[in-house]
Amino acid sequence: MLNADTKIVIKLENVNKTFHIREKRYLTVRDRVYNIFKPNPKRKIYALKNINLEIKKGEFFGIIGKNGSGKSVLIHIMTGAYPPDKKGKAEINEKFMRLSLGLGFNPEISARQNIYINASILGLPLKVIAGKFDEIIQFAELEDFVDTPIKYFSTGMKIRLSFSIAVHAEADIFLMDEFFGAVGDEKFKEKTNKVFKSTFIEGKTVVLVSHDLNTIKKYCNRVLLLHYGVPVMIDKPEPVIQKYHELLEVNT
Amino acid sequence: MAQILKKTYNLFFNNNRLQRIWILAKTDFKQRYYGSSLGLLWALINPLCQLVIYYSVFTLIFQGSVPNFALYIFSGLILWMFFTEATKKGIHVLNSKRYLLENIPINKFDIYLSSGISAFLGVLFNILIFFIVSIFFDIKYSYNLLFLPLILINLFIFVLSVTFFLSTIYIYIRDLDHIWDILLLAGLWTIPIIWDQAFVINKLQFLLYLHPLTGILINIREILLYDTFPDLFILFYDFVYSLLLFFTGLFFVNKFSHKALEMV
Repeated sequence: MLNADTKIVIKLENVNKTFHIREKRYLTVRDRVYNIFKPNPKRKIYALKNINLEIKKGEFFGIIGKNGSGKSVLIHIMTGAYPPDKKGKAEINEKFMRLSLGLGFNPEISARQNIYINASILGLPLKVIAGKFDEIIQFAELEDFVDTPIKYFSTGMKIRLSFSIAVHAEADIFLMDEFFGAVGDEKFKEKTNKVFKSTFIEGKTVVLVSHDLNTIKKYCNRVLLLHYGVPVMIDKPEPVIQKYHELLEVNT
Repeated sequence: MAQILKKTYNLFFNNNRLQRIWILAKTDFKQRYYGSSLGLLWALINPLCQLVIYYSVFTLIFQGSVPNFALYIFSGLILWMFFTEATKKGIHVLNSKRYLLENIPINKFDIYLSSGISAFLGVLFNILIFFIVSIFFDIKYSYNLLFLPLILINLFIFVLSVTFFLSTIYIYIRDLDHIWDILLLAGLWTIPIIWDQAFVINKLQFLLYLHPLTGILINIREILLYDTFPDLFILFYDFVYSLLLFFTGLFFVNKFSHKALEMV
């Protein structure tokens, strides 16, 4: 389905991520002075180990693994929010939007202002945003809450809004971090289905982190299985999911 | 050479970057004032109240000999209030804009820039009021006014660099707010904003310049109050250290700012 010559949009090379954590964190001056001579051993947490990954334009890429296996950290590495350890390289070559449960908005300002900010950062000129504004609101089914501050929105409303922005503001890469949980009614699910099916036509790329293996099986071309930060395998959904079940059984 | 110029041009133009920075700044500004019942009036009430307080204290207690003492204070307060507001907001900028930094491809520099601009809108507003008020005083303006934008840019660069440092230090020291409040208080009383510069004896005048904002303040007064040509040496000196701070600050932001996102 994917041509060999399609563009690589996400490229991770030798990515390791280590967090240096102290037993206790002293973040105020008082704490730092009081505890200056107390031992505070350093601990290293290896969140990701030697990840090499290329995601091509138009792919629907899944990431699965147990809680704490490093899925979210990997997404943060992709967005550039976390830099990888030395010698590692992380590149993302197109406009992305990370979608996670109801985050990504300034809660104090209205939906309208948030739409303008997000769409503008994704590169749309003001005039274009104004033209697409109604479409964004309609898709998110928020006609009655255009000027309501986001802090009064339910999680479902926020999810619909951010998804709608990502779709209409032409983000090229969707990074979905546990985005679709139990929220959204049938009508909205239908809409997202439609969008997902058409992503391949429009050449958008989706990276989906999920515990919902059915969704993964349904949509993804390739799936990465992470286990304590180690990439166990990358393959078609079925074998990876099988391996995942095996790992779970071994551990229990 | 032409290519380099074109590249720098493309950094800000040929795309919607300026719009983006402006939208962020505008929303910040609105959020600050429109949420309250008096709205934008607060931007006016606050400096006027401060002015009245300082003016009455210093004319009642000290027999000042500064002409147009009210405007003398006001010109300094414009600068100082901008410095306070921008830095206090700047301390938290990596946290308050986390919702963007984590989710969407935005340049960190744009975040700082927009946060600075939103505070700078207050300066423009205050300068406008200054001009209106100065009609009632005996003040003349001439071509010297052309230097004002240059000095304001200088001030802006300096303030921006301070926020670079503060926001990165804040990652490691969470009570920086309180420390900074004290430093600001010390800063206000060691610069001739609310007291007469002539209080300091001639031999010790150079001490005034230990305060990083004194040079900018004096030049702003030369222009706004006395209609004289600004001191070019001071102007040059201010620009040099502001730019030095700016680039070291930028370096710190690049090196440490990601920790603000990692340390939840």
